[in-house]
Amino acid sequence: MAVSTPSGPSRVRSAGRWFDVRHRGPGTWAYALNRITGLALVGYLYIHLAVLSLLARGPGSYDRFVDLVRSPLFLALDLVLIAGWLIHALNGLRLTVVGLGFGVRAQRTMLVVATGAGLLALVVSAVLLFGD
Amino acid sequence: MTITATLEVFRCAPGGVDGRFESYDVTVHDNATVLDAIEAVWANHDRSLVFRHACHHASCGSCGVLVNGSEVLPCIVDLADALRQRSPVRVEPLRNLPLAGDLVVDVTGFFERMLASTMSITRTAEDALPLDADDDGGRSQAVSVPDGLARFNRFENCVECGICISACPTMATDERFRGPAMLAALGRARAESADPQQREHLLDLADGEHGVWRCHSSWECTQRCPQQVDPAESIMEQRREILRRRFRRRVR
Ligand code: SF4
Repeated sequence: MAVSTPSGPSRVRSAGRWFDVRHRGPGTWAYALNRITGLALVGYLYIHLAVLSLLARGPGSYDRFVDLVRSPLFLALDLVLIAGWLIHALNGLRLTVVGLGFGVRAQRTMLVVATGAGLLALVVSAVLLFGD
Repeated sequence: MTITATLEVFRCAPGGVDGRFESYDVTVHDNATVLDAIEAVWANHDRSLVFRHACHHASCGSCGVLVNGSEVLPCIVDLADALRQRSPVRVEPLRNLPLAGDLVVDVTGFFERMLASTMSITRTAEDALPLDADDDGGRSQAVSVPDGLARFNRFENCVECGICISACPTMATDERFRGPAMLAALGRARAESADPQQREHLLDLADGEHGVWRCHSSWECTQRCPQQVDPAESIMEQRREILRRRFRRRVR
């Protein structure tokens, strides 16, 4: 009962369809962003653990690292991280509620609300990060 | 009045071999649909073009293709509108189904799934209808559906066009995913059944990692479906039912 064909596109190319938002609706944008941010956050977790392991080499190396990440470039990267986290968390909440069969008809509204709340939180984060 | 359009049509041998786009200029009536234009390609340029259609009014579900990247029934898309979107107009076969040649995909596996949902395809029901060929085509006769046949009548609205199968990004990487149309049909069959055992069985069919839980909520099926079937909502409702059933079994 296979729907797809053995001579069809490779799995990697098929997975490319997850991120192909051309001619697709807002649902697919959310779907693609959720996957991208999910993968990126897992990647970040490993970087985070590697950085924390600097502590094991003594306070000197950790302090030097902290000085580096206080630069505007790293603060901007922090903002990207926060944006990714907000997308994944807020859309994740929407998907959890809808995915269990509740408020299904309001899924689009939830997407709009989540986007609005996310943008607001991002602006607040930017002000807090760069404010002083 | 006529319009002239260029169509970029996907051409290939069975299995998608030698896939390429070929351009054709067609001149058709100005209220022509994209399907009319495809037929003009076949009629005036290349009789070997493989495409499928029947009714011309969105009830047979056989002509589904991608027009300018979106899944549609080309019989209800105005060529003029498609041209405004993109010129040349690009026509491709549906995705996530085996390519049989040019614009035609093999729907055997898809139809088998629809059958397994207990919502049968039309042929079974039509053959069994007691129409009398000798009168005015049966129009003046009340068509009565024999006992027990009602359950074979297809899932109202769904024309089994496969558009949702093509539009679903999750379908692209899980060929065992039952897919939006079958899951919606299972939901519909369950809503109709008064037999508790059958209802349980239908819910079992929808359950599982290749069932309703495989959906990752892109909502493309609902967005693209030309018949407003709303498979996504049906998938989510069945999830709720499955959870309710599990909960009830736990507390008992
Ligand atoms: S659910 Fe809609 S898109 Fe899917 S096969 Fe049926 S009519 Fe076509």
